[in-house]
Parts: sequence; structure tokens; C-alpha cells
Amino acid sequence: MAEHAHHHQPYPDDMWVFPRRETAAQDLVSRTIAPISRYRIALIITGVLLALGVVGFIARAATDGFDDHAPWGYYMAVFSFLFMITGAAPLVAVGFRFTKSHWRRPLSRISELFAVLGVLNVLMFIPLLMVLPPLKNPEVVGHQLEIRRSIWFGGPIGSPYWWDMLGVVGLAVLGMAILWLSAMPDLAGAKLTATGFRRKLYGLLAGRWYGSKRQWNIQKAGLAMLGAFYFMFLLFVQFIVASEFGMALVPGWKDSIFPPLYTIVSFQSSLATILLVLFILRKWGGYEQYIGVSPFWSASKILFALTMLWTYHLWAFFITFWYGRLQVEQNILKYFLFESYGWVFFVNVVFSFFTPFFILLWNPVRKKAWGAPLAACFILVGTLAFNIRIFVGAFNAGHTFDHFLETVPPPAWPDLWDIFMVGGFIGGAVFIYLLAARVFPILSVWEIKEGALYQKMENFMHGRYMVLAKPE
Amino acid sequence: MQEGRALTPTQINRDLLRPILEQPKWFWPAVFVLSLIVLVGVSVAGYMINRGLGVTGLNRPVAWAFMITNFVFWIGISHAGVMLSAILRLAKAEWRRPATRAAEVLTIFALSTALTMPIMHTGRPWRAIYWLFPYDFARGVWPSVRSPLVWDPSAIMTYLTSSTLFVLIALVPDIAVLRDHTTGVAHRIYSLLSLGWQGNARQWKFQVVAGVLLSALILPVFVSVHSIVSWDFGMSVTVKAWHSTTFAPYFVIGAVHSGVSAVVFVMIILRQIYGWQDYIRKEHIDALGRLLIVVATAWFYFLCMEIIFGIYGREADELAMREMQFLQYPWNVLMIIFAGITYFLPVALWLPRTFRRNLWIMSFACISVNVGMWLERYLIIVPGLARKQVFTFTWQTYMPSWVELTLVLSTFGLVSLLLLLFSRVFPLIPLYDIKEGEFLRTSVQVGRRTVPATIRED
Amino acid sequence: MATERVNHKWGMVIDLDRCTGCQACVVACHAENNVPINTQDRFLQHRAYEWIRIERYWEGEFPNVKARFLPVLCQHCENAPCEPVCPVYATYHNDQGLNVQIYNRCVGTRYCINNCPYQVRFFNWWEPQWPATLRNQLNPDVTVRSRGIMEKCTFCIQRLRRGELTVERQEGGRLDDKTMQERNFGPACVSACPTNALMFGDQRDPKSAISPYFADANEHVHEEDRKTRAYRLLEEMNTKPNVIYLKKVDQYPLKLKQGEQNG
Repeated sequence: MAEHAHHHQPYPDDMWVFPRRETAAQDLVSRTIAPISRYRIALIITGVLLALGVVGFIARAATDGFDDHAPWGYYMAVFSFLFMITGAAPLVAVGFRFTKSHWRRPLSRISELFAVLGVLNVLMFIPLLMVLPPLKNPEVVGHQLEIRRSIWFGGPIGSPYWWDMLGVVGLAVLGMAILWLSAMPDLAGAKLTATGFRRKLYGLLAGRWYGSKRQWNIQKAGLAMLGAFYFMFLLFVQFIVASEFGMALVPGWKDSIFPPLYTIVSFQSSLATILLVLFILRKWGGYEQYIGVSPFWSASKILFALTMLWTYHLWAFFITFWYGRLQVEQNILKYFLFESYGWVFFVNVVFSFFTPFFILLWNPVRKKAWGAPLAACFILVGTLAFNIRIFVGAFNAGHTFDHFLETVPPPAWPDLWDIFMVGGFIGGAVFIYLLAARVFPILSVWEIKEGALYQKMENFMHGRYMVLAKPE
Repeated sequence: MQEGRALTPTQINRDLLRPILEQPKWFWPAVFVLSLIVLVGVSVAGYMINRGLGVTGLNRPVAWAFMITNFVFWIGISHAGVMLSAILRLAKAEWRRPATRAAEVLTIFALSTALTMPIMHTGRPWRAIYWLFPYDFARGVWPSVRSPLVWDPSAIMTYLTSSTLFVLIALVPDIAVLRDHTTGVAHRIYSLLSLGWQGNARQWKFQVVAGVLLSALILPVFVSVHSIVSWDFGMSVTVKAWHSTTFAPYFVIGAVHSGVSAVVFVMIILRQIYGWQDYIRKEHIDALGRLLIVVATAWFYFLCMEIIFGIYGREADELAMREMQFLQYPWNVLMIIFAGITYFLPVALWLPRTFRRNLWIMSFACISVNVGMWLERYLIIVPGLARKQVFTFTWQTYMPSWVELTLVLSTFGLVSLLLLLFSRVFPLIPLYDIKEGEFLRTSVQVGRRTVPATIRED
Repeated sequence: MATERVNHKWGMVIDLDRCTGCQACVVACHAENNVPINTQDRFLQHRAYEWIRIERYWEGEFPNVKARFLPVLCQHCENAPCEPVCPVYATYHNDQGLNVQIYNRCVGTRYCINNCPYQVRFFNWWEPQWPATLRNQLNPDVTVRSRGIMEKCTFCIQRLRRGELTVERQEGGRLDDKTMQERNFGPACVSACPTNALMFGDQRDPKSAISPYFADANEHVHEEDRKTRAYRLLEEMNTKPNVIYLKKVDQYPLKLKQGEQNG
């Protein structure tokens, strides 16, 4: 009834409405092809950082080699930090597409684009497999375990190395399949405007997409299937990373909540990162008309829930270990929470819980575009602290084949190469992401267009309200 | 997402108040049968308190078993209410509307029923009241706050209070409708309960704000209750099978799993006995079915964590306990049944859309989940205790006695009876919520299709 | 003549090398502490009361077989898992190192049974009854427990208290190994043990027979570093028991098949 109401009716100030679908497609593609100057600056800075990271890595390998895992703690921490964010990020798109959340549309592609970083994950994972101690103790000394505690129980052939690798590679492949399938309609559209090499590339990637009903159905079903697989695979790989490179390296640490805790921290940090990217695009990237406040407002509630959820898991871990008063559990608490890594834990909790909690508690703040991204900045620092605390701790917890953690080991602080690696690989991840954003439109064109179809403004009672269609 | 025909407010009133204003023919016979079951339960409880706990099958390592299992089970059922209504209310999910009230009321009755179990289960229930209601000032002995058994009643009481408030606040507008439809004593009682509700803008604003606030505040309570129940077990460092860090989220998600299934079953029953086909539509059952797939899978993930890290330590006592759970008769059979009917069978039934919309299949799947979740707690509690340490000399097993079986069965009668009585005096589907849904319902023309739509305020 | 109260810390040492598994301690304990009689029914229901019990394990295969005995009683842990879980403070730790059960506070949640790794807590499932002929045999110094509450070994606190009262308060001496032995103030099981496998005394009294073992066990965390045969049950649980066991030294070890370990 109000077909034309869309563009000549004034909207309430705080309400954001999708741009018209006719203009959106053209505009978004042209922005991808010709980026703004800030983009180049960012690319150069992060490129330099990546180079530093590689320098740090080479220096570390040259000085310490791959025989002992202890010097690689910070490398593991930064790998895990990046893996947490990039691994879980595509799931944000998958999840909110599954729940048919309308506000997700601007952030779908941002989250899927993180799948590209699967390449970095795989590359960074190879050295870690080289330093991972074997399951069987090569030299049994005193009362040590013959087979160390591990999720593989000395089990299937090729464990742990080949199975771990299979997990990480599989996840990267699945993630890129999601990205490709989801971007296909956009790439087909972009092919029409692009020229030269870009046109060829888009033609190749878009395949024979011409947007028939059957193709759309296949695409939607495929995305749902891939999403479900991706979710299960992610849980599995995070389970591996958390227990194989964390828990198993600490003598006597048996903690069934740690993999779920790890997963929830990763959800929290990846949603935070996506909101930060969304904010940067809105503020400095020139996408303000595409990115309203609604995604921030809705996602901030979920970020708030995740913030509380991870703390809840942490508490469940703490109370169980603390109440029992077993020597080994007390020592693990002292090691990771109170003594050795006490300060890192403090930063972790303050930045990942208290600060975002008190920021996101307020609806007026949540409703602003800067509210959730501000919390996100803190969360990212906190997540880095979490990874340092756990993985540097685990890599330096003494002999892997001991029965129990009998004393509280001292903390390991970073040297220059560690700092190079941590800063460098984070910068490198941004570098790769920026490159990928040159190829794929950073906002999902088809989802934006779909959103424009499903919403309209309508007079209702005394006000004007948004009407949202929910097709089944 | 919205099917079914448009409903006018008058018709909504007529349909949803029918069980209250006109007494169904089967009502008293049903009440009679259920009361009989409850009466049997009460007598058996009396007998047990009179003779001592010797009449149960409990023994020396297995000091907690059937009744504690049943306690955890009902606490679990009680989790559906808040989970459904608070989360879905905050998420503004349209399909929550017919489900909230039934879920919340189930919460209250399941909680109260659950509370009776551990009290009966103590050696001296009359003295247990001392610690539940700490009035023992004269001796200066306060309850020990270090004990999870003090956390437990505190959490449950908080939950009971807040969910009762939650129900009452949502009930007020509906009670006012009832007040306007009744005469005599009933009218006077409903007038009193409706707290002077006139339905003006200010009252509605308060009602909505209170609902949203309570939803947000009750969520931490809801998570804490089952976490604390799990810590009754998790804190016990001696029982290796219980001392697992994942217990809190594992129990919470398991509770949601069984609770939502129970709500689906209750909704199907309500739909059939009161003829509410236009309100509890197949699309609602379908949506709940999809939610259940997610919940069940999350629960299954925690189950895997629990088992993997149980074996992970490779400690003799824990391995002995797992050996009993997985390999020894009858626990192995129970374990297989448990895994099948709690996850694999129901999820397989929930996956196809046609099955989700088949009431028989849905009922079957939901009952199967609940039987399975009962077994889950039983399989954690009993083998855990029976093999709790390395001294094989005191290893034992457990068989319930007729007393425990009767008590457990009668709790199902009690909850059904309470629900039935409630449905006779208050509407089990919120009238105003349905009306609001109808009011906000519109449609959007997308190409050639008319797509159902909702008016949103954000 | 009230002197200052002596600050005891009681402890027990059980020498497994001397234990013959004769169960005299079990009988003495039953008689002293008004423990209800274990009928056949009670055993079949697995609800027997054994404040002290002799656990018997068989090692080897017939005919090459040995019986091992392990007397288990309440370990009076310093770090007792049963204590914090009680909602009503019915069990707590006193300043003499005893884990004490207060019968009239107990409501019978049985959480402490669950959380006791040594399985030495006993619940009164029924009202305890004695045959009429044994009514006058009940010890007037010990409470007869009622149905629905928990009970367990007290280190015969009634005897210790009487000892403190007579020896320390009235005579001004000290309740040491000698007075306890001569005048029967130690726990009944210790007095009854024919081979002196059970030793009882004050850990803070350097002259007591048990204190070297406690000193050794407290000083060396690892069992292999210890100079004596001392060890505690389930040491890795960090319960810090006030009961110490002395390892059995096999003079004639079992002939085992190849690959099997003795121990």
C-alpha cells in the first residue's frame, strides 16, 4: 500500500533505513574497485608490521629452533588470538542469517571476509605443530608419565599432528567456501561494472551465476549446510587448540570447561572485532548511509550477553577448582589467575569483563554507534591478555610428562622477538583482510538489497514505524 | 512466520477464557485421578518420614539417588519458563506469544515440586527447615554459607519469588479481563487480584517496563539456579565423576533442553484439550522444534566435554566409574538408551519440517527427551557415588525401593494437577500478548508475494 | 586446681606390618561407642556401621595368595572435605585436630558421606535398637544417636576428655602416651589392639611414639623422600589426615608372574 512511501517520507531521526536497492549495488561495487586514500595508508602500515613479524619469527627460529616449545609461547598466544577472532568471525554471519535477524545485513560480509585469514591460520599453525611435544615420552625419568595426557589418548594414527592440521586446513577451506558462495551474487553483479583483470577474476569466481530461483535456493541451502558444518568444525578445532596447546601441556590440568570457555571468548572477541570494523567503515570508510545504528544496537546486546557468559564460565572453572582444595588445582589457580600471571589475568578480567560490562550495561550507550565498538577495543586487549595468560603459561609450565603441577612456575615475559611477532602478525592479519576487501565488496550487496525489500515505513497509531517482513 | 486466520479481541477473549468460564466435562474426573496420585505420594512420604530413610534403597556409598535425581529433573523442567519467556521477550520473537504463560507457570510448579524432594530426602526434614529458613538466632548458629546446600535453597527461593512475580505481572491485565467477565465471589476475588487494573496508558507502561526489567534480571537468576544445583555435585572433590568444571553450563543447557521439550509437550496437550488450534499453531511448535535442535546440540557438546575430560585424566577411580557407566549391566544399557533418546532420536525427528509439524511425533520426541534427561542425572549421580574412590572394598550399587519409585511418579501427578487447577482459574495463554501480536500484524508486498510482517519499534 | 589447658593435637599411627586383621578394634569400638549392632540385614542393605573397619584385599592367585588388611577409620583430616559442605555446621574441626560431629545439629543431608573419600561416615537409616539384654551395656558417656543423623569415629573423645579432666585438671600432670596406656584414656580400638598396630598420641608432644612419624610425613611431601614407612591415605587429595599408616614390608614377597609388579 505504501510502495512509494519509502523515499519521500521523512523518517524519525534515530531510525535508520536501508538505501534504495537500485542505487546500492552500483555504489558498493564501485567503492570496492576504487578505494579511498586512507586505505592505502593502512595497507602500507600493516604491511610494514607484517614484515616485522616475519623478522621476529625468523629470529626466534634462528635462536631457539623448534625442539623446545617453551620459547614459542608468545607466538602461540598471537596465533590463538588471531585464530579466535578469524575462526569464529564467519559464524556471526552464519548465525544471524539462521535467526533471520534483519540488522545483520551490513555485517554479514564483514564477518565472512575473515575466512580469508584461514590461510594465515594454516601458515602460522605449521611451526606450532613442529614444537608440539610428542604423545609418548622419549625418555621416562623418575615418576613421569609414559604417555602424556592428551585428548588423543595416544590414539589414532598420525595423532596429534596430522589430525590437528586436518582440522585447521578443513576449517579454512570451509570458511572460504562460505565466503565464496555468499559473495557469488555480488561478484556476478560486480563483473558487469568491472574491467580488465578484475572482470576476468569476478567472472571466474562468479561462475555461471545469473540469479535464477533455483540458484538462489541452492545458494541459501548451501550456506545453511556449510554454516552448520563450519560451526561443528570450529568447535572441534577450537577444542583441539584449547586442549592440545593449552591444557595438555600443563601437568595435571584437567578442566572440562576450558574448551567451551575458549569458544565463548572467541565468539566475544570476534563479534567485537566485527563491530569495530563496522564502526571504522561507517566513520572513516564512507559507508555511513549503509551502516545504521541498528546493527550496533542489536549486536551490542549479544556482545553484552557474551561478555557475561564467558565470565560465567570462568567463574564455574574457578569455583570448582578453588572449592576442592586439591593441591594441583590450587597450583593451577595460582599459576594462571593469581600469582605468576596475576597481572595478565587482572588485565584480562578488567578489559574483557568489567569495562565492557559497564559500558554495555546502558541502553543509551548501546544505542550509539560508538558504544559497542568502544567496548570492543577493550575486549580485544582483554582477549590478547587471555591468550597470553593461557598459552604462554601453558608453554612454560614445566615438564609435560609430569603427573601434577607440584609448584607454581614463574611467569615468562616477552623478549624483543616476541613483541615483534605479536605486533607483526596482528598487523599482518589486518593487511590480508585489507587486501581481501579490495576483491570482495565489504558489504553484502544482495543482503542489503533484500533488506530494502523487506522493510517499509507505515503509519501506525500516532507514529511512523518500521514494518518488517518475515518470510518463512 | 505467521499463519492462521486473523482473530478479533472478542474472539480471543471467548476462546482463551473458555476453560475458566465454562467448566469442561472431564475436569473433575481428571482432578480426582490426579489427586489420588498425589495422595498416594503424600502417604508414602509420610510413611518414609515416620519409619526413617531405611525404607528407601539408599546405602553406604550411594547416599543420594532417586529423589535427588528427581529434584534435579524438576529444577531442569523449571528452566524452560524463564528461558523461553525472558529471552524470547527480550529478543522480540513473535512466536513466543502463546508459549510464555504456560512455560512460566510450569516453572513455578516444577520448582515447588522440586523443593519437596531434598527436604523429604534429609534424615530429619522437620529440622531441615531450620536451615532453609534461618531463624535459629537463639543458638547463634547460622547456616554455613560455605555449603552448596545453603546456596541451593537461596537460589531456588530467589528464582521462585522472581518467577512468581514475573507470572503475576503478566497476569494482571488478563485477570482484569476475567474480572469483567465474572460475577459474585469470583468477581470479587479477580477484582482483588487485578490490583485495580484499568488498562490506561500509564499502567500499560509500568506493566511493560516491569516485564522487560524482570526478564533481564531473571536471566542471571535462571542461570545461577541450575549452576548452583550443579555445584551441589561439582564442589564434591571426592566424587571424581562430579568434580567437573563444566557442570554448571552443562546442567543449565541440559535443563533448557528438557524444559523446552516439556513446554512443547504441555502446549500440545493444551491445544488438544482446550481446542486452541488458532493460538498454539503448528508454526509455533515448529519454531520451538528448531530451537530445540540448537539447544540439544549445544547440550550434546557439553556432554562430550564432560565425558572426554572425565577419561582424560586416566585416574584409576574415574576410570572405574566410567567403566561402570559404560560397560557394566544395567548401566551400559541405560547409557545407550540415554544417548539415543536424549539426542540422536529426537534431533533426527526434529530435523524434517513435516515431522516438526506433526503433533504426535513432536510429543513423542519431547517425552523421549525428558525420560532421557531424567536418566542423565541418574547416570551421573549413582555410578559417581558407587565408584567414588579407589578403595574397592566399599564399592556398591543401588536399586530404588518401591517408596522412591512411588514418590517420583507422584511428583508427575502433582505438577499435572497444579497445572490443571491453574488453567481452571487463570488463562494459560496470555490474552493481551496474543492481542498485541494480532494488532502489530501486517503484511508487506514483495514482488508478487504478500509476506507477513510485524511492526517494530526499533 | 585449675591449670592451663594443654594444647593437644591428637594423631594415630597404624602399622600395617603389625595388623593381623583380627577385628578386635572393631568390636571394642562397637562396645565403647554405643554403635548399633550390625545384623545380617544391615550388611545386606550395605548400611552396616563400622566406625573402624578392616578392609581386606587379596593379592595374587590361589595358592600363591596373600591377604592384606587395612584398618580404616575417620582420618580426622585437617582439610576435611566433609566439613565445608555441611549446611548446618554439624561437622567441624576442633582445636585438637579432631573432626567432630554434633548430633543435634545434624539434619541428615548426607552430603558429608558423599564428600568423604574414606567412606567412614555412617547414617542412621533406622531408629537404632538393641536387644533388651544389652540395654544396660550402653556406655553412659556416649550419646545414643537417633534416626536420621550422621555418626562417625570420634577418636573416643569421651575417653580423651576424661583423661584431660583427671590427669590434667585434677592431678596437674600431662596426658601422655604412658598415662593413656596405663589408665586407658586412649581410644578403645588402640587399647584393644593385641599387636599394638594402632598407636595413639599427641603430635605436639615430642616424646610421644607417634610424633616422629608425623614430623617425617609433614616434612617430606613426597613419599619416597621419607625416612620412615609413613604414608597417608589418598595423600594427593590434600586432605591432610591426622592418621598415618606405616607401610607393610613383605618379608616373603609374592612370587609374581613376569611383568607384574609387587606392591
